[in-house]
Amino acid sequence: MRIMGVGGGAREHAIAWKLSLSDHKPEIFWIAENRNPGIHKICKDNQGELRIGRTTDPKTIVRSARGWGVDMVVVGPEEPGFHGIPDVLEKEGIQCIGASRELSIIERSKADFRRLQWENNLPGKLLFRTFKNAREASDYIRKNIDTQPWLQNIVIKPARQSGGKGVKLIEDRLAYLHDDKECFKEAYFDSLQTNMATYSDIEDKILVEEKAWGPEYSLQCFTDGKTVLGTPLVQDNKSAHEFDSGPETGGMGSISGPDLALPFITRDEYDRSLKIVEGIVEAIQKKTGKPYRGMVGGQMMLTENEGPTIIEMYSRLGDPEALNILAMLKTDIIDILQAIVERRLSKLKLEFANEDAVVVKVVSPNGYPEKKEKAKGHPVQVFETNIKRNGCYLFWGSADLQDNGQVVTGGSRLLALMAMDHTFPPASARIEKTMSSAQLTDGWGLYHRSDIGSEQLLAKRRDSAERVRRLYQYREEHGSLGRRMEWIPRVGRVDPSQLLLKEMHGPERPS
Amino acid sequence: MPGLVGFYAFGEGRENWDAPHFIHYGLSALQGRGQESVSLAAIGPAGTLHTLGGKGGVEEFFRNNKTSIPKGFIGIGQTSSYTDDHLVHVKAPYELVLALDGKTDLHEERGEASKLFARQLSQLLHSEKEPLKATSMLINKIGGGYSFVALTHKQELISGRNPQGVKPLETGSVGFDIAAAASETCALDVMGIDHTGPVETGEVIMFTPEDIRGNAPAADAGNFCSYEYVYLARLDSKVNNLPVARVRNSIGRELAKAHPAKADVAVGVPETALPIANGYCQESGLPQELGFVRTGENIRAALEPTQRERLVGVQLKLNPVKSAIEGKDVVLVDDSVVRGNTLRNTVLNLKRNGAHQVHVRIGSPSLVSPCPYGVEIPPRDELISSGLDERELADHVGADSISFMTVEELQHAIGLPRQNLCMRCFENGGATR
Repeated sequence: MRIMGVGGGAREHAIAWKLSLSDHKPEIFWIAENRNPGIHKICKDNQGELRIGRTTDPKTIVRSARGWGVDMVVVGPEEPGFHGIPDVLEKEGIQCIGASRELSIIERSKADFRRLQWENNLPGKLLFRTFKNAREASDYIRKNIDTQPWLQNIVIKPARQSGGKGVKLIEDRLAYLHDDKECFKEAYFDSLQTNMATYSDIEDKILVEEKAWGPEYSLQCFTDGKTVLGTPLVQDNKSAHEFDSGPETGGMGSISGPDLALPFITRDEYDRSLKIVEGIVEAIQKKTGKPYRGMVGGQMMLTENEGPTIIEMYSRLGDPEALNILAMLKTDIIDILQAIVERRLSKLKLEFANEDAVVVKVVSPNGYPEKKEKAKGHPVQVFETNIKRNGCYLFWGSADLQDNGQVVTGGSRLLALMAMDHTFPPASARIEKTMSSAQLTDGWGLYHRSDIGSEQLLAKRRDSAERVRRLYQYREEHGSLGRRMEWIPRVGRVDPSQLLLKEMHGPERPS
Repeated sequence: MPGLVGFYAFGEGRENWDAPHFIHYGLSALQGRGQESVSLAAIGPAGTLHTLGGKGGVEEFFRNNKTSIPKGFIGIGQTSSYTDDHLVHVKAPYELVLALDGKTDLHEERGEASKLFARQLSQLLHSEKEPLKATSMLINKIGGGYSFVALTHKQELISGRNPQGVKPLETGSVGFDIAAAASETCALDVMGIDHTGPVETGEVIMFTPEDIRGNAPAADAGNFCSYEYVYLARLDSKVNNLPVARVRNSIGRELAKAHPAKADVAVGVPETALPIANGYCQESGLPQELGFVRTGENIRAALEPTQRERLVGVQLKLNPVKSAIEGKDVVLVDDSVVRGNTLRNTVLNLKRNGAHQVHVRIGSPSLVSPCPYGVEIPPRDELISSGLDERELADHVGADSISFMTVEELQHAIGLPRQNLCMRCFENGGATR
């Protein structure tokens, strides 16, 4: 059989790698915007080819799929879905794994996703409000901060997915720092408005959400629209630098295993998280009338108010989280993809190497994520045999194989190294040992997070999980899980979720 | 609520005493009763009354007014939790300056009520031959609950408490030439003046160049503010002859007896609840941990005028000592719950910092009514206990349990007969504002 993949990052490299290991021995074709050296090699080794083209352009995708005569297309990243690539392929009669345009709204519009959650009263919610511009946002907050105290601690986001960037957490919890926080907030609203002006596919530009705290984890699932099959939980690390400091990135590395849950997330929390994702899949299908065939995931957090909570949705696998689950996956990936398109996922049982603890560390050129232009175009040298000798796996990300055989950086996350062991620290240590196998030959620097997979970081996660777990379990015992009751002097009892529902439905249709 | 000080010097050479300097220290000791405004009046050999008032705390007032502080060997002063609370100066027919703690029933508004009281006092002192009798008549006629000190142009210092006598007032003297009155005995201690006893309810004590005179106090002991014992008064003071420290200790013990909790440690919310927590631990046998450290100067968060300022107060005041509470079930002892913001902030802070269960024990009954005598207990619709029952309150603040003392338990802990304690703020059916 012939399979075509779309996308050129480490996630897609991992998908290609897994396809190449299938007993179905597929011929592997690919379209990406960069010549990813890993995908390039896999395609060549499997009677296929990697072609450079716009992954969001339906014509390019359809022409290639037709030309190669592929049986199935697997879409890696989110943007092709946002641009309706799966819809076009379906129309052409080519089977496609990936959320269609309407379904991918759960990721594309963070505001629509929250509305969906609240309309269907699904668990794992956060209070939110959307704004069309900066002025509207700051006026509303200033006016309501005393009667809706959740507005003191907020997360400000662009309301549209914009490449994992642009999220600011503002905790206005120390009243004596209020003026400083307000100043920053206003300035940030302004800059967000400017940035978001370029996206015309969405009306609400700014999303403000209740700030929660707690350990984060991703739950990635396969779905055929009827059944949602969960994979092991993965924890990604979003901050650029050690111990969760520095700017937000697409993800600097991740851990998973052993087993389905993580050392700091319980099996019960796993089950609840899966139910939450199932609820979203059901709700969005009901709303759009379209079947969901592909991957879906929740970027989750344990929170005081709700327990397992969705921070954002994935309409795809995570990058780098895909690496973890694909490495642990024992079931043939083509069997899964076929079951998805034939909508018989309920008959399939996913198997994972449950004894493994998997560590992934992302290596990025200096300059990422703030100054990508500076991080771009540096020549890369990688000693693959060293990496293999240390028992590690290499996945190429933002890298470009040039015609002269030289690989150069693409400006984003360059590559990921992965290792498995019975526990995290030895896996992490193996990656550290082989870290010098990747270098830039022009002297420009690379960086990664050495703390990922360390006992120290794990202890930190465990500690934060225990604290927040006690708080949400307290709420559960007291019957207030998921409720946000406030008592405001002079006003009395206020339920901000009722206010939110009222605003969502408009004044003429109070809930 | 103000803190009052009166200073009087007798005898030969008395013009050498600098009353405002003593009053400065006395007011510093009473700072806990209010730090939003200070005012001062003094009279010297020339027989002219000079007054000065300003915003802010005591230290700030004296620092900023170094050159303009009134001079004299007799004086009165007050520090108040109201920003616009100044001495009432009545020029005619009998010139006097008045500082009053509490509220007379002459007017709805506290400041106006004090002004009317001062005017009537001036009238009576003018028309009656005997000033002591005049003042005595007045306090028996005008209701409310109040204590006051007044200074006249004839170098008289009048101190008094009406028969209700809700508010404290204490007197003292040292040597042959100094006498004083103050809201709390701690102010007398700090001025180096020996405590001689309270101004009794219905009593007027008058200091004149010739003598010290008093009328016969009321037969009934009066109706003392119980919140003084719980929160208002300073730990090293005596109020109505009862040492505050001993009362807070027995509040803690009573609380432990009537409202036990299964826990590993007990922590008190600084500063007022620390001695209550101490008593709680002595009775229950729980170890006491110091759970919080303060940043900056001592702030009486509950008395701060705005929500934002109260929050600043609480947050700077209550940084948890993590190791004291981490992994432990904690009894959190506090003196009272007003709006509930402090408590919620504190309980969540303890839990986020690793405390397991948090059981809140409050060393007073639920505050459900504002104070008719001017203590800054906010209107009823700002009092969280008037809106939520104990169970709802526990859920709201995130506590595993919360219990308040009953009115009877508090009365028992204070040890005075019920009819001699004012507990209007703990009882429904009083004023709403």
